[in-house]
Amino acid sequence: MSRVLSFLAGAVLGCGALALPAAAQDAPKGDAANGKKIYLADGCFMCHGRVGQGGAYNGPAPVLAKTEMPFEGFKGQLRQPVQDMPAYSEAVMSDQQIADIYAFVQSLPGRTDPKAIQLLNN
Amino acid sequence: MSKRHPSVDASRRNFLKGATLAGAATLTAPAATQAQVAAPRAQLKALPPGPRQIAVETTPPSKDPVNQSSSGGDFMVDVMKTLDIEYLAMNCASSFRGLHEAVLNHGNNVKPEIITCPHEEIAVHMGQGYAKMSEGKPLAMICHGVVGLQHATMAMYNAWCDRVPVICMGGNIMEANKRAPGAEWVHSGVDINAITRDFTKWDDQPTSLQHFAESMVRAYKIATTPPMGPVMMALDAELQENPISDGETLRIPKLAKVVPPQGDAGALAEAAKLLVAAENPVIVCDRVARTHAGMGRLVELAEALQCPVIDVWGRMNFPSRHPLNQTFRRGPLLGQADVILAIEVNDLWGVLNNFSDRIVRTSHPAIKPGAKTITLGVRDLYLKGNYQDFGRYQDADLAIAGDGEASLPALTEAVKRLVDDGRKSAFEQRGKKLAAAHLAAIDRAKSDATLGWDSSPITTARMCAEVYAQIKDEDWSLVGNTIRNSWPHRLWKFDKPYSWNGVSGGAGVGYNAPSSLGAALANKKHGRLTVTFNGDGDLMFVPSTLWTAAHHRIPILYIVQNNRAYHQEYMYLQAMAARHGRGIDNTAIGTTITDPNVDYATVARGFGVHGEGPISDPKDLGPALKRAIAAVKSGQPALVDVVSEQR
Repeated sequence: MSRVLSFLAGAVLGCGALALPAAAQDAPKGDAANGKKIYLADGCFMCHGRVGQGGAYNGPAPVLAKTEMPFEGFKGQLRQPVQDMPAYSEAVMSDQQIADIYAFVQSLPGRTDPKAIQLLNN
Repeated sequence: MSKRHPSVDASRRNFLKGATLAGAATLTAPAATQAQVAAPRAQLKALPPGPRQIAVETTPPSKDPVNQSSSGGDFMVDVMKTLDIEYLAMNCASSFRGLHEAVLNHGNNVKPEIITCPHEEIAVHMGQGYAKMSEGKPLAMICHGVVGLQHATMAMYNAWCDRVPVICMGGNIMEANKRAPGAEWVHSGVDINAITRDFTKWDDQPTSLQHFAESMVRAYKIATTPPMGPVMMALDAELQENPISDGETLRIPKLAKVVPPQGDAGALAEAAKLLVAAENPVIVCDRVARTHAGMGRLVELAEALQCPVIDVWGRMNFPSRHPLNQTFRRGPLLGQADVILAIEVNDLWGVLNNFSDRIVRTSHPAIKPGAKTITLGVRDLYLKGNYQDFGRYQDADLAIAGDGEASLPALTEAVKRLVDDGRKSAFEQRGKKLAAAHLAAIDRAKSDATLGWDSSPITTARMCAEVYAQIKDEDWSLVGNTIRNSWPHRLWKFDKPYSWNGVSGGAGVGYNAPSSLGAALANKKHGRLTVTFNGDGDLMFVPSTLWTAAHHRIPILYIVQNNRAYHQEYMYLQAMAARHGRGIDNTAIGTTITDPNVDYATVARGFGVHGEGPISDPKDLGPALKRAIAAVKSGQPALVDVVSEQR
């Protein structure tokens, strides 16, 4: 439990860093279908959920579905992650594969209006 | 299950030897009778007595009795009745057969009533869950000395870390010359309590019944005095089984429960002064609410200050929908806090610092320089050195030794005395901002919950929303949760002292299933609907808990969050592989629970529990929950196997 506590605030800070539009560029063209395969095979889903809904590792793992993070920031987080996320070097994940993953998470449905879901209005 | 070796020497104890001979006589008698019937009918006069009959009629009364009219076990039961111990959880074993029989036939299996557990870890964990839900009232458990106790130790460690009283006992045969060859030697120890001494508050091995009575009352008193914790008593088998020789002089001491210590009045006044003067105070709470009074007391303090509360969930400390509950805004609130009051927080360093789990492990404070820290609690009053459950040392500006719940009224009164009109106005403004932030956090939670709403495997958000929809109008009690599943606290309205039952303490896997059952046992008499989220990995440790639930007809709803992995470890392994740039293709080995997938509904039915699932389609979950809850409301345990997302 203590480990959970100790990481929580740090992870929130990490999420903030991810949101910074540090190196905004147009994303290279990616293959969302291949990105899905990599996302599931390479374990992105383990922390971020199969539909990019977010989750938790040592602290909260951010939502990736329709992320507003620029591609360069997304890639930078994979190569040199802040906080506790594992790093993915070019040897195990190419830039093109990252572009595919980026295309996949952009293709996910994202949030809907909770007011339209009766169970969320209890 | 008998743990006595079948080849045990019947001469182990005098009365046992007698019983064996008597049994042998009984068995041979019919053969002698048959021989008489087969004799020639012409000889009608009485037969002369045979050697056996002569022996019976001429041998002096035996000094090796086969019956007894009292036993030490009976007296031990009387002591437990005096202490109002409702349950004795156990897995049967020969080293406490004397007490076992006494509970049944002297005590009529009432106070204590035996709860049959297929594993000693279940027995202790049931005690942990039961005591927390019973406002600190312990149950007792007993296990086989040595081997059973070693099974029990993990659960005792959880109870220790969680500061929960459990009266643990273990059978032992103290006198070497009374032990039968074989199992009784390998199951005996000079000091069986030694293996638990690092994580029990106190232990003893009584050598007489009077000694037992005094030590049992003392054990109860020590266990239930904050900081609470498990205690251990080794019970000699001879003491349990043999006749009482000193009945006239035996007495059961009176239990006087210790009034929990309140913090020093001057120190509480100083704390109040700091809190009232602060612009951005924060209260952090962990194991504050020992009784049903605790939550209300903390609410009163927070409202007097209009101060945000960050709940670490060690107990049902603070209502989830209270506007001052700011648990999900911890980072920013701690970052701007000028005074932090930490009440009964075990790992305060972990709360007030950020730690990075990278190749070079680093940390930095989560609070700003100059922030004042006040600690209030009993943790400093009792620590041990070996196991490191006390966490890293955290600086404090004012450390008050006193029970949090007991000290809250005095602290609140001291605060109220210092609040003038100026501060009251400032507090009201602060409260309004916090209330708005609280509502925004709920809106955010609901928005987050929509992500993947209809996907399969079922998201944990959907799973929790579906469960809440079915129980929200019932008198529900959530008594367990899976690792890092924050959805209930984000989405549900926890507002009663029994709405929540805390966490394991030691993070020892195998806690949730049995501790939840213990809480359900406590809830049964109140008619509450007991619900728990149980990880599949946790349930795999002690699935036979389900049999105990069915056997004792303890109503409880198990929701298995079946992500088919020891998922936290799966992620750690991924991190290790990524660190080496080796890819993660192999990280499922040793971390996942697949091939075959486990069908927990079938497992449940095998143990006599109503089972639903496995459910992968979210649309099927609501109807399955309805059926399961109907079973629970009829008095049965039920389980719903939800094939879920990882987190």
